[in-house]
Amino acid sequence: MLAIETNNLSKFYGKHRGIENVSLSIDKGEVFGFIGPNGAGKSTTIRTILGLLIPSSGSAQIFGQDAQKEGAKVREKIGYLPSEVNYYDEMSSRELLEYHARFYPKSDLSKIEELATYFELDLEKKITDLSFGNKKKCAIIQAVLHQPELLILDEPTSGLDPLMQNRFFDLLDQENEKGTTIFFSSHILSEIQRMCDRAAIIRNGKIEAVEDIQALLEKQMKKARFVFQSIPENLQFPAGVQHEKWHQNKLTFDYVGPIADLIKWMAKLELADAVLEEPDLESIFMNYYER
Amino acid sequence: MNNNLFTKELKRNRKNLTIWSTITVGFTFMILSIYPFMQEMGQDLTVMMDKMPAELSKAMGMDSQTWSSILGFYSTYYGIYIIVLIGIFSTSTAATIISKEEKDGTSEFLLTKPLSRKSIFVSKLASLSILVLIIYLLQSIFAGIGMSLFNDMETDWSTLFVMHIHGLVLILFFSCIGVLISMFVKPKKNFMGMVVGIVFGSYFLDAIGKATEATNWISYISPFHYLSFSVNDPDFQVNYLSALVLLLIGAAMLVFSYTVYKKKDIGA
Repeated sequence: MLAIETNNLSKFYGKHRGIENVSLSIDKGEVFGFIGPNGAGKSTTIRTILGLLIPSSGSAQIFGQDAQKEGAKVREKIGYLPSEVNYYDEMSSRELLEYHARFYPKSDLSKIEELATYFELDLEKKITDLSFGNKKKCAIIQAVLHQPELLILDEPTSGLDPLMQNRFFDLLDQENEKGTTIFFSSHILSEIQRMCDRAAIIRNGKIEAVEDIQALLEKQMKKARFVFQSIPENLQFPAGVQHEKWHQNKLTFDYVGPIADLIKWMAKLELADAVLEEPDLESIFMNYYER
Repeated sequence: MNNNLFTKELKRNRKNLTIWSTITVGFTFMILSIYPFMQEMGQDLTVMMDKMPAELSKAMGMDSQTWSSILGFYSTYYGIYIIVLIGIFSTSTAATIISKEEKDGTSEFLLTKPLSRKSIFVSKLASLSILVLIIYLLQSIFAGIGMSLFNDMETDWSTLFVMHIHGLVLILFFSCIGVLISMFVKPKKNFMGMVVGIVFGSYFLDAIGKATEATNWISYISPFHYLSFSVNDPDFQVNYLSALVLLLIGAAMLVFSYTVYKKKDIGA
């Protein structure tokens, strides 16, 4: 069974487009990334799946149940971490988490203490007195407290310091090992690279591609760096070379094509040094955007 | 209906309820405690009342007869102060009970819980009803106590009862208006000005309407016109038809509000 399935999900605000024909299939137990620049429609997609927004057309299913018609049942299985945390100012973190827990039959109140220690969150402080990062910690605890089968995370690491980010990723690993499906929305590619099996790339409200992260990284494309002993005249590049840049006697470019052709070409050159490496997700991503 | 949400709403509004109840009950007691002094002035007061412009006394719903009993005296204040006060509390609470979550951004927290919008709407309205009934009943009980303390004659309880039933219907009607406007006015706005305007405005429209024949029509648009507090009217009794119609209009406003809420996009 699929954890999340959306079919041509669209949301328009009047004539203004939020998202258009978003179709996603996310397997149970998967860690699925959702990458795109700000304003691409990541949050709109999430908010529509959660029932906060009413879709203009299309549908979303969570574990086979319709996210609109059976929203209450569906949300029992979801833990949601919003990108911007807005909680009841007059409550303390403990009050908020207990209030949250009472909505779910599966909640384990003893976990509040445990997770607060893990994330170093003072439970007695009022929400209004919490810093941005501490509010985020409270929201993380809130998202996992009721042992959801699906975690939906919207820009989850914003506001967290690197130490807490690592603890958060460790927690996600543990949750995922227990079988929790994770939908991870972010514009920070290194996070997606670290956490996800597959990722969808969204741009201007439309899904550009759904890629296997590993395949994406391995996809033929190489970053090449050469240092020349002497700069050759009238150098001809093989087909598939892009973004070539000279810096004195150093040359860098991206290469998409059969590796044998590149090596044949290299053999004719007088090189002092040569490096061929896998590109980071960033450059692959930029590659998508330029198309 | 969700218990967790219901109790949280009661708790959240408890401070506001305490403040408004204290003011309302205090006012009730103050009015009733003045009556013995007014009574002592007796004849002078009647002379003064007769000298007042007829339009003004009609607008205020009083004549020399009105103040001849504590009930009449209390009735002139009941509309302009007590019902307006409770009405402002009820209407503003009604206007904010759902929209405050949107204003503060907490609606995202609430609506991602395993609750249907229906359940949220019903639970919030249930809390609202309890809050409104508490302030109404407290005021009524203290009005009863005050009557017993400051009235040296037999109190006409059944007339007092009729007046308070009219008051209740008006308060409920205003609460429904509060819920309705919260569905259409941007939640970032402060509702208080609008609420005071609607409740006070309704009272004054009725008052202006009563003043002269020529302005009579104005009072027809005010709910106060249909449920009067004129206790000295020999035919004064519960106006069941008006009460029923106002309650039905109120219910229709709630149903309409729900259909709007059900399809509303939350936050962004």
